[in-house]
Amino acid sequence: MTYDLLEGLRVLELGQFISAPYCGKLLADMGAHVIKIEPPGTGDWARQYGPFLNDDPHPERSGAFLYLNSNKQSVTLNLKTPTGQGILAELVSRADVLVHNLHPLEMDALGVNYAAVSQHNPNIVMASITPFGLNGPNRNYRAYDINLAAAGGICQGLGSAGREPLTFGTPQVGYFAGTAAASSIMMALLTLGPGQAFAASEQPAGQSSHFDEPASEVPPFGKGGLEGISPGQELDQPAGQHIDIAEVETMAGVYNGPEALMAVYEWRATRRTGHHAMDFPYPNCILRCKDGYIFVGAPEGRQWRKLLEIMGDPPWSQEQRFRNRTEMNNLYADEVDGYVETWLMEHTKAELLALALEHRVPLAPVRGYDEVSHDESLADLFQAVERPDTGALSFPGSPYVIEDAPRTDTSPAPFLGQHNPDVYCDTLGYTREQLVKLYQIGII
Amino acid sequence: MSEIPLQNHDDDPSSMPGPLQGLRVLDFGWVLAGAIPGMVLADMGAQVIKVETRQRLDYMRQGRPLIGDERDPELNPMFHNVNRSKLSITLNTTHPGAIDLARRLAGRSDVVVENFSPGVMDRLGLGYEDLRKHKPDIIMASISSNGQTGPLRDLRAYAPSIGALAGLDSTLGYEGERPLGLKHAYADITGALHAVFAITAALLNRKRTGQGRYIDLSMLRATVATMGIGLSEYALTGLVMEPKGNYDPVMAPYNNYPCLGEDKWVSVAVRTEEEWRSLVRAMGNPAWAQDESFVSKFQRLKHRKELDAQLAAWTSTRTAEDVTKTLQDNGVAAAPVMDAEERLAYPHFQERGLYQEIQHPSLGQEPVFNLMWKLSRTPSSIRRHAPLLGEHNQEVFGDILGLSDEEISHLEEAKVLW
Repeated sequence: MTYDLLEGLRVLELGQFISAPYCGKLLADMGAHVIKIEPPGTGDWARQYGPFLNDDPHPERSGAFLYLNSNKQSVTLNLKTPTGQGILAELVSRADVLVHNLHPLEMDALGVNYAAVSQHNPNIVMASITPFGLNGPNRNYRAYDINLAAAGGICQGLGSAGREPLTFGTPQVGYFAGTAAASSIMMALLTLGPGQAFAASEQPAGQSSHFDEPASEVPPFGKGGLEGISPGQELDQPAGQHIDIAEVETMAGVYNGPEALMAVYEWRATRRTGHHAMDFPYPNCILRCKDGYIFVGAPEGRQWRKLLEIMGDPPWSQEQRFRNRTEMNNLYADEVDGYVETWLMEHTKAELLALALEHRVPLAPVRGYDEVSHDESLADLFQAVERPDTGALSFPGSPYVIEDAPRTDTSPAPFLGQHNPDVYCDTLGYTREQLVKLYQIGII
Repeated sequence: MSEIPLQNHDDDPSSMPGPLQGLRVLDFGWVLAGAIPGMVLADMGAQVIKVETRQRLDYMRQGRPLIGDERDPELNPMFHNVNRSKLSITLNTTHPGAIDLARRLAGRSDVVVENFSPGVMDRLGLGYEDLRKHKPDIIMASISSNGQTGPLRDLRAYAPSIGALAGLDSTLGYEGERPLGLKHAYADITGALHAVFAITAALLNRKRTGQGRYIDLSMLRATVATMGIGLSEYALTGLVMEPKGNYDPVMAPYNNYPCLGEDKWVSVAVRTEEEWRSLVRAMGNPAWAQDESFVSKFQRLKHRKELDAQLAAWTSTRTAEDVTKTLQDNGVAAAPVMDAEERLAYPHFQERGLYQEIQHPSLGQEPVFNLMWKLSRTPSSIRRHAPLLGEHNQEVFGDILGLSDEEISHLEEAKVLW
């Protein structure tokens, strides 16, 4: 499903694989008009990533691409040519936002940087997503998901002692960089002159001067997305700015930062302890049940007592050595797993979920991708999108429910260069003949 | 404290107003998922008022990792991290007078954030329908495990529960073995970051339309959205992924490899033929790399275990730092598997100021992490240390609602402000 909150916002995406495309997707699914710029010929490498429809590799049938690029337009553009760069400048001058994940070395080689971009549009908000950021000794590092998870602090604690540290089963870090980009772009667009933003806070309770204005009078985003929005804004000051997002810092910061900072207090080193977590009250782990696996947790004492009650207060639970649940976890977890699993093995995931709901205990089935996809309570999240070559395919849409906001159907991810005529002819004013010429000389 | 050096940024935060200057947030959020959106908005310049009560302290104030043995609500560095830059008031919502004060504050706010169990705010008379009567264009975000409606709404769920329900845990483990699951409060943070985007998009929309919004953010849905590629495997092929260790469908090598030292590892990932040739060159063109088994991407994927063994033999006589440098110098993606101390002392993070120290009245110099974005014109900054419980009752109820000192003292004595 698609919301209309960002209708009129003009976004250019120079995105490959996850991070910048996920940012573009968040914006597009909120109603922004997103033009994705892809290299001619190959396009976004997500088109080569798969998984492919019926396991048959084809650049138009890659799950990674189809998921991450719904609701966007695709144009092709060769940025390695002066003509291509000139066309990029034209696009930039008509955009409010540019989000990209070109590597810093590619930025250097192509000359795509904020100084150059802002020359063509001083009000543009440009977000640069790079593996390690735009400055610092490791600025030029290359990194894929596992490298970002390793340096970001995910891997060290995942897995078993003495064996290789693990990472996620499906790439993750790019999503957080993309979310960070989308949020920080919103904040940059919200920027007005000091003290002039959000004057509503100063109004008496229950009143809002603009609330009763008809919604049909919605002004366009205009330059920098802000012109015409607030009468108090000083328009002589450029609204644009540059956002620097290091993918590795999303992991090393908000996700794992607190844990890293605890090292200052020599509090706890991360250890790999298999399916158990150290220094938590038992249970806080995934255990076997009749038809798969189930997460069993009970941070509160009453939850543990309730769990034992459901299990029929087994004699082992009365043993003195199990009185302290953190000790039980750190010293006897494997033994207790055996006791608990004996009971769990008599129940299916569905039965255990029903018990969890009835008794308010934190049991949660470990669901496979098939079970998640078929969860009826998520039916409005998984909207089927029809594309002529693939038929209907279901991918997650906007993950939030915004009450009363109009929703429209999701448009499928574009074919490579599908919108060249719309963007180059209808918007930029090139003739059909010029378009053909641009194709022939490899610009688009 | 140990001797790990941290950068100290003494810039005066008040000189940098931040992009959300002038915005007021009434923050009922607690623990992690509810606290982080307010933290982000506060670092970006909003005035964020954290609503707390002694009746039921924020779990983070009393739970691990407390420094010292006392259960003092001011001694948890994790709490300090996710509540810095905020103000704190105490409101005992079991008292009707407190509800009235909360509504009046909402009437003077732009955003309300909460992550109580679904239904609690409505029951208190602080639901969206109540609050919009006091502020028609209020933007309210409710963050929950499984959404405000639906069959899983009332499931007791923590971050690891969401990892299980979202499918994230089902593929995390060694090949052919049990799923291990993430130990992190991962879904909390994923949910919180998506909430920040939805809130800021609603604010931008409000500037044009004057519309308030109610945002129902489920951590499950946010986490599922980050599983899109994995889920598409099922959508496109009907196959259900299981744990495969460190595995990528198009990359080999793609793993963490052993290095010199105790429990030291380096991650290496190769996608393109050019990167493969660079890796081989960086290793000094060993004979094994010319083997037929590794001649193409397809072959390397097929023989990834043999490839891992060969690469591990090469890395295991070197430090993770040496391998990283050698490979990165040749354009190959590599990075050490870093533990907490290593990340804290990592020169790159230090130079970029990812972690910094601020002064807290109870803990002295304490470390905090910075936001993961840098805005060139309106940067974020940590406005102040995390508030003491109820530290700003006077300021908030006096300056914003215009209560007199006597009224505030009276409300404190009556345990309304409690």
